Amino acid sequence: MNEDGVVRIWTEVARESKGESVTLAHVCAAAVTLVGVNGVGVTVRVGSSAWATMHATDETASTLEELQVTVGQGPCVDAFSDGGPVLAADLTAREYQLRWPAFAPGALGAGARAIFAVPLQLGAIRWGAMDLYRSVPGGLDPDRLADALAFAECVNILLLDGAGDSAEPTRQQTDRTAHQAEVHQATGMLVVQLGVSAETAFARLRGYAYAHDRKLGDVARDVVARRLRFDTESPDGGGPP
Amino acid sequence: MDEQLLAEAFVEVADTLVDDFDLLEFLHRVTVRCADVLSVSAAGLLLSDQRGALRMIAASSEQTRLLELLEIQTDEGPCPDCFHSGKPVAVPDLSTAGDRWPVFAAQAREIGFASVHAVPMRLRGDVIGALNLFDTRPGNLSPGTLQLGQALAAVATIALMQARAIRHRDTLAEQLQTALNSRIIIEQAKGVIAERRGVDMAASFALLRKNARDHNRRLSDLARAVVEGTEVI
Repeated sequence: MNEDGVVRIWTEVARESKGESVTLAHVCAAAVTLVGVNGVGVTVRVGSSAWATMHATDETASTLEELQVTVGQGPCVDAFSDGGPVLAADLTAREYQLRWPAFAPGALGAGARAIFAVPLQLGAIRWGAMDLYRSVPGGLDPDRLADALAFAECVNILLLDGAGDSAEPTRQQTDRTAHQAEVHQATGMLVVQLGVSAETAFARLRGYAYAHDRKLGDVARDVVARRLRFDTESPDGGGPP
Repeated sequence: MDEQLLAEAFVEVADTLVDDFDLLEFLHRVTVRCADVLSVSAAGLLLSDQRGALRMIAASSEQTRLLELLEIQTDEGPCPDCFHSGKPVAVPDLSTAGDRWPVFAAQAREIGFASVHAVPMRLRGDVIGALNLFDTRPGNLSPGTLQLGQALAAVATIALMQARAIRHRDTLAEQLQTALNSRIIIEQAKGVIAERRGVDMAASFALLRKNARDHNRRLSDLARAVVEGTEVI
């Protein structure tokens, strides 16, 4: 991806975290500033049907997340199930009133006029969605959408690391090999080798790469080429195979 | 160029786009058709991820080296140049492209390609991706062939718009992200199948496609089920 974009985003996140380890709160606060919205909320799926709100930057954002969790509809729910962003530029539009009959009026009542949801996902791995709201109507221009998607990737990494302590986040974000097809193929192979979920498989792959100070794509390439197996070594890639 | 093949390609498009069709399978077929109809060795489609980078979405062959060559173009190559200028890029002789794109040119030649062309995928004023055409013979594609390439790139764009309309997504940006994520699901599923069956990634993709066709499933739906373990291939 665009290197400048990544740097800009992590500079803002670092400004928010003031040198402490990066949390969801820092990422959401930085998203408010850079995407140019009033508030941000993050809600994740727990088990097969329940939702949990991990963070909301203000009371309106908190109400929006709570509302969606309660009524089971809204942009976050749709972004999660469709696997793509949902961009509602004006909640008073008939289209959204019909699409979310329980959510839209409540959201307007809470002070939101436009709402944008981006899924927190990596292929078949799905965590939830990030909602960004504005109190005034209007769409999200392509650059701001790009920022929102980049923030969603930051949130993915935090969720993957257990929401709170993300070591060397900048390096993880700027590893240009992280998007290679082999990374996803290797994740699939580890699902079978280890008998775990794709999320756990991906976490193990990343854990190995960082423990061995290697690029994610390079480790993935070894797995795909069958030079490296994970089912014959210690957990979390502690030692060489 | 074979007019019969071209006619078949457009009939297939008209047939496919009427219902809740399988976008990833469709884009794969567009690239296969491109290679056939335009008489080139390989074709690939790259889409903008909305963040200034291009990502591979479909290829006429799932051979790893070709996918890598498409992926390199997140950084450099004829497709990003085509994407940013909005104009076709022609490289009739890859041996002269080393200064312009050192990594891309070296790998393309290593695979055995001698020439490469890129045409933009356009939607009204915007460029949303690029179609990449590789050949083992040097030389320029004829203006007529390039025009056909543009037409097939337009077919891929129409498919994206149609998928967007069917799923009631408001913007193309929503559809692009969904499609790119579907491609990731397919890569994950290829890994699962490759490991379980002890085959390479190209064979794994062929198994996934065959299963989807046999059971009338969408490629990305079946791929998700495979990764989540609810279906076994």
